[in-house]
Amino acid sequence: MSSSPPPSSAAASPSCPKKMIALRSSDGETFEIEEAAALQSKTLENMIDEDCAGTPIPLPNVTGKILAKVVEFCSKHAEPGVDDESLRAWDAEFVNVEQATVFDYILAANFLEIPTLLNLTCNVVADMIRGKTPDEIRKFFNIKSIFSPEEEEEVRRENHWAFE
Amino acid sequence: MPPELLRDVLMRIEKSESTWPPRKNVVACAGVCRNWREIMKEIVKTREVSGKLTFPISLKQPGPRDSLLQCYIKRNRSNQTYYLYLSLDQALNEDGKFLLAARKLRRPTCTDYVISLNPDDMSKGSSTYIGKLRSNFLGTKFTAFDAQPPSAGSRVMKSRSTRLVNFKQVSPKVPAGNYPAVHISYELNVLGSSRGPRRMQCVLDAIPASSIEPGGVAPTQTEFVSSTLDTFPSFSFFRSKSTRVENLESGRPMSAPKDGMLVLKNKSPRWHEQLQCWCLNFHGRVTVASVKNFQLVASPEQGVAGTEHENVILQFGKVGKDVFTMDYQYPISAFQSFAICLSSFDTRIACE
Repeated sequence: MSSSPPPSSAAASPSCPKKMIALRSSDGETFEIEEAAALQSKTLENMIDEDCAGTPIPLPNVTGKILAKVVEFCSKHAEPGVDDESLRAWDAEFVNVEQATVFDYILAANFLEIPTLLNLTCNVVADMIRGKTPDEIRKFFNIKSIFSPEEEEEVRRENHWAFE
Repeated sequence: MPPELLRDVLMRIEKSESTWPPRKNVVACAGVCRNWREIMKEIVKTREVSGKLTFPISLKQPGPRDSLLQCYIKRNRSNQTYYLYLSLDQALNEDGKFLLAARKLRRPTCTDYVISLNPDDMSKGSSTYIGKLRSNFLGTKFTAFDAQPPSAGSRVMKSRSTRLVNFKQVSPKVPAGNYPAVHISYELNVLGSSRGPRRMQCVLDAIPASSIEPGGVAPTQTEFVSSTLDTFPSFSFFRSKSTRVENLESGRPMSAPKDGMLVLKNKSPRWHEQLQCWCLNFHGRVTVASVKNFQLVASPEQGVAGTEHENVILQFGKVGKDVFTMDYQYPISAFQSFAICLSSFDTRIACE
């Protein structure tokens, strides 16, 4: 029987070892994350509260490649003494990746319920959309548009008016 | 991407692009594919109470409830066209988002103003045709016609709660036609020896008088229904129908509006003894004196307080040689406001 120590705060004494949580990705890789960082994820927080955080928590929806980055993100955001500006700059670098990877981050953030990461990545996607015409948006996200002739006409009329 | 995440992203865009020109990004998103379109239209609907102009259909919807939406009209005398813009900033400079255009067509017995979404395509058969304003020969009575029936694709919005009451749309296709929307009449004001400002009355067919009472609602068109020009034998059927309706209206005296419909009248200016002129407080939005300038308020006959309603619903006035401001609010729409203002250009009553 292991008693769970309270979440480590910024003032955790060095003599008290920080509790580590083990996570396993869909492709079998294992990662360790400090409890404080893990609590960034509501999903993991629930599991920790229910004391099922003993064995590696299986995360079938997240690959090792992405989980590694998510652990990095959560750890950074749990770090004490980081000022807002530095954190923002770090975040900007973190999402400075391929479009496909950003989407992987979104899905992981959604699955693990990490509000900070979800907010960051959704904003990135919104930025990708802003300033593009419907056609450009479709090409960028590889979306097929299947409008009826009437809808097509309405869209055309709307966009002509909006971009007037 | 899961639908709730797509929705999150689209909501962010709708929220951040709340003014023009960035708001065109909202329209662009609604044009990507059916899925995006449904989501974006739903997001915009739930924020409709703010009175923001987003899609062209916004021009047919009531303006904001607690403030006047500021617009301006530019007149181009060379091509007889009037352009309506949404003001993008507080200053009276001409930097705006294009909304509607109207072209004047003089006919033997009347004048028509054709109103369209596209200034380069003013034909009535086009999908950009919104409606028209028709005046009688003397320029004393006008009728604004809507290209689609007021009840088409409309629903009633509850003013306070966020729950929306939906009318089931009966049929998506209605004939392109001319459905009377506003009846405007002008009269000379015979006040003793001095010629007072002319009197204006507007009857809004589709808006109930109850809309301006506390908790009142005004019907809101939510989409353009596609017209079926080809399934009806001839366009003239509707033309003659509208003429018939017109004849009925023109015989009506000014003081007898239809029951239950919203009636607007122009606010009486005050005589300024020192300046020796009629004055209305336009709060800086009108800077050139002109008989065309007016403020419309709900008619006091409509059973509300005995004194004239102070709430200005539409205000119009000159600020430059060919530039006029137009400010409107709930319960009338940009289209109805534009049509009423156009009538002010045309009428020749009490013009110096």
